Amino acid sequence: MKTALATTLAMAALYAFFLLVSFAGRPGGLGGADLGILTIPVYSESSPEEPQYSGTLNVGHVAISIPALSWDPADWNWKQNMDTGMYIEQLFAADLDKSIKKGGPYPYTMQAYLPRDAVRGEIVESYEWEDPLTVVMQLRKGIMFPDKPGIMKRRELTAQDVVFSYQRQADSPKLIPTYFDHISSVTARDDHAVVFNFNEFNAEWDYRFGYGYYSGILPRELEHVDVKDWRNAVGSGPLQLVDFVEGTSQTYEKSPEYWDRETLNGVRYEIPFIDTLIIRTIKDKATWLTALRTAQLDILEAIDWISAIHLRETTPELKWSRWLGTNARFIAMRCDQAPFDDVRVRRALNLAVNQREIVDVYYSGHAELFGFPHKPSFVGYYTPLEEMPDTVQELFSYNPEKAKQLLAEAGYPDGFSFVTQVNAVDPLNMDLIPLLVDYLSKIGVTMEVQPMEYASYLSAMTTQTHGPGYFATTGHVNPTTTLRKNFMTGQTWNIFAFSDPDTDARILDILRTRDEQSRQQKIKALSAELLDQAAGIWLPVEHVFSAWWPWVKNYNGELRAGAQRPGPIYARIWIDREMKREMGFE
Amino acid sequence: MSTTASEHIARTFSSRGPLVDLIVRVFREKPLGAAGGTICVAFLFCGIFANLLAPHGANDTNVLNRLAPPSVEYPMGTDHVGRDVLSRILFGAQLSMVVGFAAAALATLVSVVLGVLSGYLKGWPDMIIQRIVDAWMTFPGLVLLIVVISIVGPGLPQIIIILGLQYGIAGSRIVRGAVISVREHMYIHAAQSIGAGTRHILIRHVLPNIMPVVIVLFTTRVGAVILAEAGLSFLGLGVPPPQPTWGGMLAGSGRDYMYVGPWLALAPGLCLAVVVFAVNIFGDALRDLLDPRMRGLR
Amino acid sequence: MQDFVLRRLLALVPTLLFVSIIVFCSIRLIPGDVVDLMLSQNDISTGQDRAQVEAALGLDKPLLIQYFHWLGDACRGDLGRSLWRNTKVTEQLAARLPVTFELGFLALVVALTVAIPIGIYSAIRQDTLGDYAARSFSLVMLAIPGFWLGTLVMVFPAVWWRWAPAIEYTPFFEMPVQNLKHMLVPAILLGLSLSATTMRMTRTMMLDVMRQDYIRTARAKGAGEIRVVIHHALRNGLIPIVTLVGLQAPMLIGGAVIMEQIFVIPGIGLMLLEGVFQRDYPVVSGVFLVVGIGVLVINLIVDLSYGWLDPKVRHT
Repeated sequence: MKTALATTLAMAALYAFFLLVSFAGRPGGLGGADLGILTIPVYSESSPEEPQYSGTLNVGHVAISIPALSWDPADWNWKQNMDTGMYIEQLFAADLDKSIKKGGPYPYTMQAYLPRDAVRGEIVESYEWEDPLTVVMQLRKGIMFPDKPGIMKRRELTAQDVVFSYQRQADSPKLIPTYFDHISSVTARDDHAVVFNFNEFNAEWDYRFGYGYYSGILPRELEHVDVKDWRNAVGSGPLQLVDFVEGTSQTYEKSPEYWDRETLNGVRYEIPFIDTLIIRTIKDKATWLTALRTAQLDILEAIDWISAIHLRETTPELKWSRWLGTNARFIAMRCDQAPFDDVRVRRALNLAVNQREIVDVYYSGHAELFGFPHKPSFVGYYTPLEEMPDTVQELFSYNPEKAKQLLAEAGYPDGFSFVTQVNAVDPLNMDLIPLLVDYLSKIGVTMEVQPMEYASYLSAMTTQTHGPGYFATTGHVNPTTTLRKNFMTGQTWNIFAFSDPDTDARILDILRTRDEQSRQQKIKALSAELLDQAAGIWLPVEHVFSAWWPWVKNYNGELRAGAQRPGPIYARIWIDREMKREMGFE
Repeated sequence: MSTTASEHIARTFSSRGPLVDLIVRVFREKPLGAAGGTICVAFLFCGIFANLLAPHGANDTNVLNRLAPPSVEYPMGTDHVGRDVLSRILFGAQLSMVVGFAAAALATLVSVVLGVLSGYLKGWPDMIIQRIVDAWMTFPGLVLLIVVISIVGPGLPQIIIILGLQYGIAGSRIVRGAVISVREHMYIHAAQSIGAGTRHILIRHVLPNIMPVVIVLFTTRVGAVILAEAGLSFLGLGVPPPQPTWGGMLAGSGRDYMYVGPWLALAPGLCLAVVVFAVNIFGDALRDLLDPRMRGLR
Repeated sequence: MQDFVLRRLLALVPTLLFVSIIVFCSIRLIPGDVVDLMLSQNDISTGQDRAQVEAALGLDKPLLIQYFHWLGDACRGDLGRSLWRNTKVTEQLAARLPVTFELGFLALVVALTVAIPIGIYSAIRQDTLGDYAARSFSLVMLAIPGFWLGTLVMVFPAVWWRWAPAIEYTPFFEMPVQNLKHMLVPAILLGLSLSATTMRMTRTMMLDVMRQDYIRTARAKGAGEIRVVIHHALRNGLIPIVTLVGLQAPMLIGGAVIMEQIFVIPGIGLMLLEGVFQRDYPVVSGVFLVVGIGVLVINLIVDLSYGWLDPKVRHT
């Protein structure tokens, strides 16, 4: 009857509207599989202009959705340096003069690793090994702590502050066990000389208390002050913390004086150039992309490739850089439980997944096929896939027939099913899941997916109740840590539950090896063997993009000048306010 | 003189079955409501027979064909991993409808029971029930949901029960308010003075008179529950992927890629809007027909 | 009336106590202990000494003792400190409550401004085109998810016109214009979706009330239409509307989490959500307590206003 007819017509009209908007609303040039490869120009000349002082820099850093978790280095929190690295300095930091934009080789996008020649003393001017187990560090003169009403008066940073800071870290109840075991004592020889006595050599010595996560140097006056309270924040760095709106923003202001200088075009300038730095916390992806588009953010450090391509079209003024994600992805298989206690089963699953197809089609080429346990930027430690033994290369090929064969050999001719836990809040992992389920089903293996809320998901890992499958993303950190944390018996992040006494012994040996060349050989050999063990289904590592507005100068997408520490980079940025005004954004 | 509501309803539906009569009346007198009802039935049909109607599977990925605009093969386009949006919509209809109607039914039941008991009995039962309602309602619904789901794990039954309880207890106050208004009306006093029992009064006088409110409540609950599930998916706590729900589709790939593929957000969004709209219009029509006071009766 | 008020106030206390126990215990039932979460934040870890961390956080004492400590402190106005950032919960609440309240207040104003006139008009001119249009509009607003509209407003104007609402919060009394630039858009969106329910309720109740005997009596007495409407119909029709406001209280005080997330509003809703995700027990318990008190107070006011609005109820 009439009503039914009218209803049908209405629905048809609605569908027509739907089609109209779908086609009209699309930006040009995006369809089907061809999302286009984003070519990234390399900026290798520094800008010839004279830097300007003043201005505010709004940054959305790599962990834009996570607010500051702690202001106290003694909390041993991984995110520490991102929030305090502007005002708290360390013994060592990255030598930013060796960045690509200045003609050097380093992009400084690694999470927590600095190659030996990229390390520069921050508060340390020079150091010397008096004997194989003693290193004496000479601190720079003239590094000043500013006035902080109620806490301290302006004064010079001395060796006693270094000793105090080290001791504070070591005495913390949250200390990671064995982290400082290699250090027997830290003492001040005089006001500017700090002596480190070691029990044994540790290859990570300059990382663990140096440029690493837990190495901040605080003034002694903080001994009886509540450092967790952000209002008590003070340090020798270029930008002091002045405001913290929980969950939305952190504001830093230029220190009254700062010892370091930046050399541009042969001229030494005082830094920082900017007056104010605001780190924004935004939970919603649509919001932070919009903030970049409308210049409410000057820099956005982590953008996925699909959004990047679209941004490229709608906001062509932006400048870009590309870097390899600092997290490896794999489905860890518990080696201490059937069916994954058999290496053939684990290898079979790797053969069944077409990693190359995932790179080419899912990521449109914006991913690295092979990036675990080392990244290509771990120069000297990383072996490209083509140079790896055949058995390792095989794992990254696609061979479902052989996979089925291996399964049959191992006693699973009809396949099997297993449960995998996934972090429900990680969109990339959730997207990859149906692809992987599909690949595995073709060899008769059924993967049942168990999405979990983040905290529960993490908890399953720390309490070792996870598995048999666990979709993990884990940071590379540095060449030695990546082996230890992932493969050494009993480590929290050893999600594979991999345990081999020989491997454990070799890892400890690597840490004690002083000679870098020799260490590299050992690491390469061990890594190849561990890969062969196929403790996880190895998956590609995606590329991530950074974007910034052209008025952000002296910046080329550098991310970290230490372990998760961007402070020194921001301090060297200057803003071309004229250009910003001309573009209509001031 | 004044006839009771139930007598009125009985008289109207004398010859044929009451349900058929009602439907005929809806179509005859309330065309907009009828349209709404038709749409609801259509979607229910799609949901129930999704397996037969869907051209592709809900999770057949085909990454080569990702983000394709609507075409003959994919009438609503594909998402970012190449799955057919139309098929996902159909399977999503299944889930969204189940969640919507089940939770709304549970909610309405809870609301009516609590509201009637509380509003009619007054005194201590009212006090106690209201205390419980107060205590329950101090929990912001979303957080209660997060806590419960974190304890028992995400899943369809948990979401239905907790959404049902949440809206049910909250809605009991509306029912209570209506019962309070009704309670004071003349005919209740009249019935009481004749010596009619509580149960008799509740069933023959109170319930029919609060029916309009209850019906409107139910219809808004269906829409509200479906939208609530969408909100939960936004925060990552809805029915877990890769199970398609409209809310999940809207909050997931729809939101992330809406500027690249508007159809991803339009399809679930339009379906949600249309279904909720339809349910509410239909409910309105029913209410208008069943409300005895529209006849000027008291 | 005095009796009634007193009884309700006294009843508040056990309700609150009951609420606090449930909250305190339930969040600790969630798998994924805060200690696990903290431990897993570390780079390398060899089965760290849990006992040490637990002791540092005060989590090693039995649950009952922890509860009584917390309750005792709460009565003195000390809601503890965040387990992660060691900031006082009361300070955080004091900073975030006004923000949430402002958002809720603005939203409510928008909702009532839109809903009540349209609802009344719709009832008076029942079944006319205007009525249908109004009802359709409210139904459409009911059907569209708030977060969807919010995302649309965030995304498309930025793409088309390079415009977006401000993402930085400034307190209203410092810079009112800046504050509104940030809060107005989410408040309007929130208010519009609230207005849908309110409009429908208004219309329904107005329709019912308008046929009451005393309306006919008033009309028969010769009172003007408007006077009749306002004085009699509105007064009684307001009961469910007031109920509705009461119903929205948890949202108004507890915060609209989704809007807060999209528009970067540092309110209570987000604070709560983060607390739950990070298992920050003192924060969650503290927020629940304050929200609980707020909601119960609002409900008390709602109940009392029943008595004022409907004289018949007062004497029961």
